[in-house]
Amino acid sequence: MSENIESTMARSEIYPCEIYVRRARRIDRHSVAERTAILLGAVAAGVFLMTPSALAVPSFARQTGLSCEACHTVFPELTHFGRMFKANGYTLTSLPQVQGMTEEKEQRLSLNQLPPLSMMVQVSDTQLAKALPDSSGLPGRAQNGTVAFPQQVSIFYAGKIAPQLGVFGQLTYDNGSGTVQIDNTDFRFADLVVLPDEKPLIYGLSLNNNPTLQDLWNSTPAFGFPYQASNASVSPLAGTAIDGTFAQSVAGLSAYALWNESAYAELGVYRSAMQGYSNPITGAAGPLDGTASNVVSGVAPYWRVAYEHQWAQHSLEIGAYGATFRLLPGATSATAPTTLQGAINRFQDVAEDVQYQFLGDMHIFSMAATHIHESQTLDASFASGNSANPKDDLTTSRVTGTYFYRRKWGGSASYFSTTGSTDAVLYGIGSKPGVTTSANGSPNTTGWIVEANYVPWLNVKLSLQYTSYTKFNGGSTNYDGYGRNAHDNNTIYILTWFAY
Amino acid sequence: MNIRRLITAAITLAMTAALAQSAELTQEVRSTAERIAVSTCGTCHGAQGTSIVPKFPNLAAQPANYLAAQLKAFRSRSRGDPDALAFMWGMAAALDDAQIDGLAQYYSSAKPARSGTGGDRTMQARGKEIYELGVDTLHVPPCRSCHGSKGEGMLDFPRLAGQHSQYFLNQMRSFQSNLRSTDIMRPYASALNRSDLEALAEYIQSM
Repeated sequence: MSENIESTMARSEIYPCEIYVRRARRIDRHSVAERTAILLGAVAAGVFLMTPSALAVPSFARQTGLSCEACHTVFPELTHFGRMFKANGYTLTSLPQVQGMTEEKEQRLSLNQLPPLSMMVQVSDTQLAKALPDSSGLPGRAQNGTVAFPQQVSIFYAGKIAPQLGVFGQLTYDNGSGTVQIDNTDFRFADLVVLPDEKPLIYGLSLNNNPTLQDLWNSTPAFGFPYQASNASVSPLAGTAIDGTFAQSVAGLSAYALWNESAYAELGVYRSAMQGYSNPITGAAGPLDGTASNVVSGVAPYWRVAYEHQWAQHSLEIGAYGATFRLLPGATSATAPTTLQGAINRFQDVAEDVQYQFLGDMHIFSMAATHIHESQTLDASFASGNSANPKDDLTTSRVTGTYFYRRKWGGSASYFSTTGSTDAVLYGIGSKPGVTTSANGSPNTTGWIVEANYVPWLNVKLSLQYTSYTKFNGGSTNYDGYGRNAHDNNTIYILTWFAY
Repeated sequence: MNIRRLITAAITLAMTAALAQSAELTQEVRSTAERIAVSTCGTCHGAQGTSIVPKFPNLAAQPANYLAAQLKAFRSRSRGDPDALAFMWGMAAALDDAQIDGLAQYYSSAKPARSGTGGDRTMQARGKEIYELGVDTLHVPPCRSCHGSKGEGMLDFPRLAGQHSQYFLNQMRSFQSNLRSTDIMRPYASALNRSDLEALAEYIQSM
C-alpha cells in the first residue's frame, strides 16, 4: 500500500465553509427606552422581542483549509474539533503569513496574507396562523405573510489576528432596524501548554459582547437551537437575563481553561456597553446616565464549568453556567429619565446543560438541553410600582434533538418552556391591540419547534420551520384579553441561507 | 606533519560543530513536532497518536516513511479521499519538510494502540485467513507480505495492527473509487467483496 505513488488528481477548487449562528436575541436598540417603560427592563421583556440574527463564517474555512464538516456536524453545531478550534482562539491557519521577527527570534507579526472575510445572506418568509390586528385600529388586520429580502446580511472578519489572538467579528444589516450594527463579536487570546503527562492545557481570554457567545457547546443560549428564527413573528414576554437579553449591549472579559480537551472552567465579568447611546449633556458616547435603561451596576459576574467525555463516535458534555446581573433601572421611558442611583433589580441565573453527539459517516444525531432558573429580586421595580412582587422567578427549559443523513437531509425537534411567578404589573400591562401582552400576568409560554433542513452544499441551507405554542404569555386561549389564542401565534418560517 | 594534524583537528572540530548543530536542530524540530502533535493533531488522532474516534486513524507506531509520505501527499493535495479533503489538506498545507519529518518521527516512536477487544470471532477468523493467505482465486496476495506478519508495517507500508475498522473500511472504499489513488491497493480493494473487507477490518482492529 505504498503512498509514495499517490497519483495527482485534478480537482476543482473547493470553497469550504464554516458557519456559526447565534440566537435571535438582540435588543432592538432603538426601542430599549420604550420597552423599559413597561417593565422593569429588558431582562423580563426583551428576550423574544429581539431581532433574530445569524452568523455564517466561511472565512474560518478559508483560513484553515478545512471543510465545514471538520468543525460542524451541520452548521452551526460544533463538533469536538470545532470546539477546540474555538478554544484555541480561531488561530489555526494554513494560509501564507506575513511575518515579522526580531534577531532574538521573537515573533512580532504573523498575519494572514489574505483577510479572513466572508458574507452571509438570509432570505425568509413568515406566515402566522392568524393575522395580527392592524395597529391603526380594529377590526383591521395586518397583512399576513412577511417576506424578508434580506432578513439579514452580515459581513464577517473571523480568523487569526496574531499567533495567539483571533476574532469572530460580525457586522449585520437587519431588515427590522434597517441599519448596519455591530453583532456578535468575540476576541480571543489563547495559548496551550503540554503538561508533563503530555496532556494539553488550553488557557485563554475572551472579550465578547454576549454572555455565552464564547461558550464551546451548543446547549447554551447564544448558539443554541433554534439557530435561526423569524423576526416577523410574535414573541413571548419573558425570558431570563442570560438567555440573550444583553446580547450586544454589554462587554465582557472572561478567562478560561480547558484541560485535556475535557474539563472546562471559565470566569468573567460583564459591564454595560450600549450601542447607539449618547450622553445628553456632552453628546458623547458616554458616560451612561439616567437616560439609559437597565444599566449593569458595577460588573455582572459570569461563570461556567463543563466536562466532555468522548468515546468512539460519541461525545457527552455536562455542565453548568450562570450570571448575576444587578441592574439600575434608569429611564422608565424616553421622556422619564431616572438617575442611576439607589435601589437595584437583581437577576441571578443558574443553569445546567447537557449535550450529546453521535457522529457517523452517514448518520449524525445530537441532543442538547438546558435548564435556566432565574431568581429576581426587584427592589427598584417594586419600590417604583413597576412590579407587583418584590421577588419573582423564571425558569426556562429547552430540549432539542437533531438528526442529519449524510449532512444533507435532516431536521430538528425542540420543546421549549418558560414559566415563572405571576406578576400582574411586570407582565400584565397591556394596551390595545394586545398580542404581546398577558391578561393574567403570567409569563408562562410553552411550545415546540420542528424544522426540516436541506443542505445541498455545505454552505447553503434551506429550512422549513414550524413553531407551535401550547401556551403563550400565561394562557392557551384569550391570553392577551383581546381574544387572541396561543395557537394564533403559530408560525411557519421558510429560510434560505447562504454563506460565502 | 603538524600542518596535517592541524588540518585534521580543524576538520574534526568542524564536524563536531556540525553534528552539534544538527543535534540542536533535531531537538528543536522534535519540540516543535511534539507541540503540533499534542495541540493540533491530537484533537483527532490523540496526543500520543492513538485516536478514540474510529473515523480518524491511529498514528502511533506507524512507519515514519509512511507518515511523511502521507503528510506530503496531503500537502500537495495528491491524496484525495473525502476525509483528506475535509481535514488533512488544510492541516498539512502549512507544514514544512522539517515539521513533517518531526511529526513522522514523533508518531513512529509512540507506543502503538492496544488491540481492539471483542468483535465477531468468526469474522476475525476469516479476516485472519485473508491477511495471512490472501485470496488466490481473486489474485489477492496475503496482506502480511507488505504490512508485516503482525501488521506492524514497514517503510512505505502502513501499520495495520490495531487500526480502527471504520477508518480501514473508509480507505478501502476510497481505493475502490480511486479517490485515494494507489497503483497497488486499488485492484485488491476492488477484488474483495464487502463481507471479506469487513472481516479483514475486524481482524486488523483486533491485532
